[in-house]
Parts: sequence; structure tokens; C-alpha cells
Amino acid sequence: MQRDVGTLPLAPALRARLAAAGFQTAQELLDTGPCGLSTEVGISKEEALEVLQVVRQECPGEAPRAAAVSRRCTALELLEQEQGQGFIITFCSALDGILGGGVQLTKITEICGAPGVGKTQLCMQLAVDVQIPECFGGLAGEAVFIDTEGSFMVDRVADIAAACVQHCQLIAEAHQEEDYLKALETFSLESILSHIYYFRCRDYIELLAQVYLLPDFLSEHSKVRLVVIDGIAFPFRHDFEDLSLRTRLLNGLAQQLIIMANDHKAAVVLTNQMTTRIGQNHSTLVPALGESWGHAATVRLIFHWDNNQRLATLYKSPSQKESTIPYNVTPHGFRDVQPPAVTQNPDGTEMNPRKRPRREEEK
Amino acid sequence: MAAKKLRRAKLPQELCERLSRHQITTCQDFLCLSLLELMKVTGQSYSNVQKLLCKVSLACAPKMQTAYEMKVRRTVNPSSAFLSTSLHCLDKVLHGGVPCGSLTEITSPPGCGKTQFCIMMSVLATLPISMGGLDGAVIYIDTESAFSAERLVEIAESRFPAYFDSDEKLFSMTRSIHLYRELTCGSVLKRIKSLEEEIISKKVKLIIIDSVASVVRKEFDPKLQGNLTERSNFLAKGASLLKYLAEEFSIPV
Repeated sequence: MQRDVGTLPLAPALRARLAAAGFQTAQELLDTGPCGLSTEVGISKEEALEVLQVVRQECPGEAPRAAAVSRRCTALELLEQEQGQGFIITFCSALDGILGGGVQLTKITEICGAPGVGKTQLCMQLAVDVQIPECFGGLAGEAVFIDTEGSFMVDRVADIAAACVQHCQLIAEAHQEEDYLKALETFSLESILSHIYYFRCRDYIELLAQVYLLPDFLSEHSKVRLVVIDGIAFPFRHDFEDLSLRTRLLNGLAQQLIIMANDHKAAVVLTNQMTTRIGQNHSTLVPALGESWGHAATVRLIFHWDNNQRLATLYKSPSQKESTIPYNVTPHGFRDVQPPAVTQNPDGTEMNPRKRPRREEEK
Repeated sequence: MAAKKLRRAKLPQELCERLSRHQITTCQDFLCLSLLELMKVTGQSYSNVQKLLCKVSLACAPKMQTAYEMKVRRTVNPSSAFLSTSLHCLDKVLHGGVPCGSLTEITSPPGCGKTQFCIMMSVLATLPISMGGLDGAVIYIDTESAFSAERLVEIAESRFPAYFDSDEKLFSMTRSIHLYRELTCGSVLKRIKSLEEEIISKKVKLIIIDSVASVVRKEFDPKLQGNLTERSNFLAKGASLLKYLAEEFSIPV
């Protein structure tokens, strides 16, 4: 309660007047009461009341702190939370393996790669995968897709969604259980497409504005579990003379995304471009937007080519080991390189989706 | 969108005047400041500034559409989704042809036929929709002076002899292909910026730029230090302008 008046979130002019009138701590304000405050400082009674309400909100004193203000919880609670959390699978079991199950919720995952390597394909695949019903091992959530490059092709998403629905249908036929068939009724092409919320941002101002508005959007659509920003580098790479402003805006953006991911239990996926760093006598491809941006993402995946094979490398992760796996982009979407051995699960008790049999559909 | 003035974002008048005293007139200036700076400049409390931020963001943010609405729009009007190249195998590989509403890049070593392909696409775009064309004008930005009008007429006549049987049809086709010769990067960028009005007035349905690399290579020597950033700046600016035009008017570029 000894909080300094200057640190309260009031209008600067008001703060200046309070300081001029001699008030130094929040306790003094509370003791004076609204009428006394208005006569001493020379503000109206309503303004004085507002000031006191702000003070009470900021410094509850003996009252227990509101749960939202303190984000303190024990590591055990966090462990239970994390274990119960789902992942968004990518349909490529090798990639799911190195990620520890799939794209994690409440974390920011960054995908970097050269043009044409499959970043947008993975984003579209994830936007479909997040909607898989829970009985098939998905999250039954919705997706927000923010596109800055214009590379979102609706027809391609329709193809991926159709392949996913077909896959789930095969599983349902093999196991013939009630809730599978019921879930399939709602999991159709139209419903998948209508739960992908698409925003096209043309420049960085629209992107900033959209990210400011996202928390309200997510509160309205509480089932959203995935936010994809395809091309976070594109609007920031050209037309920016002031590099320090760019760093500041990017850091602010990263902060807001982290808060959003935590509050709404959503996964945030960003795609980044590659830039060439010219060294002494060689040049290497590194992710764009600079070194400080590298700290923003929790998990970093780098996609690259090796002769004709696409490879994915887990570059940065707090819990998984660094490794590289090959993957393919097929007409059905993002897949493994070789189809894993098809094994039937006769007892039907093992419903773990990461071990469910994958069958290659005939083209 | 970024250059939208604050008073059109429905902010109160005195607030706009106060902000303009600090040289903040557009949404861009407003959104680039941090919360504390905004509090200082507007003289409002924390929660009020957050509300203002929401209001300004609403003015700038793009509209939401679901993927389903986009799909429905495309299926309702299938002819507007692609421009067929009239080469059957190429169309199959491209899933229908050159897509409308996005950028398509054609690259090859010299002499393979890029300019010929561009000339043929210009002819195709002027054909009526019943024949697989777009029934519109074409803007051709030529940086290598490789466009030959005679070759254009030759292609039109030999490819579609039944349609171009009269001189009149040939004239109307050639009249709808607008050729601009630009020789420097700066003039190319200026031309792209001026295209928006021309597209509306002349009912343009196809934009061709032949070629981007030649003009960039001429002007920017990659060995000089500062040039790389300037070059990528120019390319990125041009690319985003072209993308905007392609999407706004749903035409292939």
C-alpha cells in the first residue's frame, strides 16, 4: 500500500496534479476519500471516484490477490496440465515423433524454410488436423489463419480436408463404434472449411491491428486451438528503414502472441523466411528477422532440401532433442516418406491415435 | 489501409487534434507506438488507451472470412478461377491453368520460349469466355523490348484461324493489349503503382511483366555492398503491389 502515486495507471495530467497536491502513496489517496480528493486536487467528484477505483484495483492490500493477477502455480500442477494437454498431429509420424507428439498447445512454434519447401502446406495441414474429433485423437478445435503472403489456396485445403475425412472414415469402418460414426457426421468437408477463420493482412499495420484484436476474437470463438500466421517475415522485410522500430514491433508482437497462447490454450504457428548471411568466403541460409527474433519462438523447425528430399530439422526445443527427419508433400497433404508397416489392432483397446494404423489411400 | 487518417477511424475530434500536434495523423503512426507512449501522448488512462487501440485496430484490420465461404465463391464462378493455357498437359499439371488472383512466375534459360508464352497468354486472355479466355484487356510491361506485334498477329491467326477470320477481330484484339516499355527499376515500380486505375478503366484481365530479372540485374550489381538490400526492397515492394492487384481484381499476373 505504499505504492507510489506515479506508478498508477492514470492519465499523466491527473498524475501530475496529484503529485503537485502533495500525494505520494496510494494509501494517502484511499484515506482522503473522493470528496476530499476532489477539493484538494481540483478535479470533479466523478474523476476522484474513478481514481480511487483504479487504486483499489491495483492495490487490494489485505484482500487476497485476484487469481488472474498472479500466475503462480506449482510445478506439479504444471506437470498435470501438460500431460493432459493434447497435441496437434501433423499426419507425418516422424515429425510428430521429433516434436514429442505434435505441435504443442500454449507454445509458439516457428517454421523456417526456403521458398517452396512446404511451410504453407504444413500450416494448412495443421489447420485441418486441429479439427479432428476427440475420439480419433484430435482436439476438435477451430483454426485462425492469418495470411500475409497470399499463398492460401482454398482448393488445396479442400483436398487435404477430404483426405483427412477419408482417413477417419477408414478408421471408423475398421472399428465400428458408435461415437466414431457420430463424430463423423459433424466432421465433414463443409464443417472443416467453415471453422477455418481466414484473415488476409496486406502490410504490417494490418497484421499489428489484427493481433491486437485477436484476444477478443478468441474469447468469442472459444474453440479456437490454433493460430497460424503464414509469413511473419514478409511484411516486415521490405519498406522498413527504421530497424529499431522493427525490432520493437516484433518483440511486442511476440509478447502478445505468448500471452494469447497461454490464456486461450492455443498453439501459435509462425512461418518465417530464410535470408542469406554472407560470411568470410561463404554464405549460409539463416532464418530471417534477425537474432533477437530467434528468442521469440519456443520451438523452431527448419525445413530444407537435400538433393531431392525434403528434410525437417528440429532446431530449438525446450524438451526434445535436435534431430532431422525426411518428409513428403503428397496430393493428400503432409505425410511420411515411406508408409509405415500396416498393422491391425485386433483387440481394439489401444485407441492411442499416435499408434493407430495408417493406410495409404489408393490414388 | 495503413495510411488511413485517424479521424476516419472514428476517434473524437479533440483527440485527433491533440495527436496531430505530436505528428500522429495516420493509423500507422498510432499503432507503432507502445502503450506508455500512447498514454503520454493522449493523456488518457491505461484502460482508455486500450479501448482506443481496439478502435483504431478495428479500422485497420482485415475482414474475416471462413475458408468455406472462399470455396463457395470459387465453385460458384469456376471460369474465374483459372486461365487455361490451352496446353492440355500443362493445364493438368497446374490443376486448371494459370490461377487468377495470384502471382505466377515463369523462369528458364534464355531462348526457351518465355516471351512466346507471354505473347500467347495475351492472345488467350482477349478471347471470349466461351473459348476459354477472359474477355478482357491485357497490360504487358516489357523491359527487354522483346515484344513483337507481328508475332502476336501471327500467333493469333495460326492458332485460332476460325475466330480471327476478319481483320476487324484482329484489330480489336490488338487494341486491347496495352504495351508499356519500361527500362529502369524505378519506372517499373511507378508503372505498377499506376496500374490500379488503369485496370478498372480498361477492364484489364491479365498483367504480364517480361521480365523482372533483366531490369533488376542491369541496375543492381550484386557485388556492391549496399545494393543487395536495395534490390530486395525493390523486389519485395513490387511483389506486394502485384499481389495486391492480383487479389483485389482476381486476375492472373
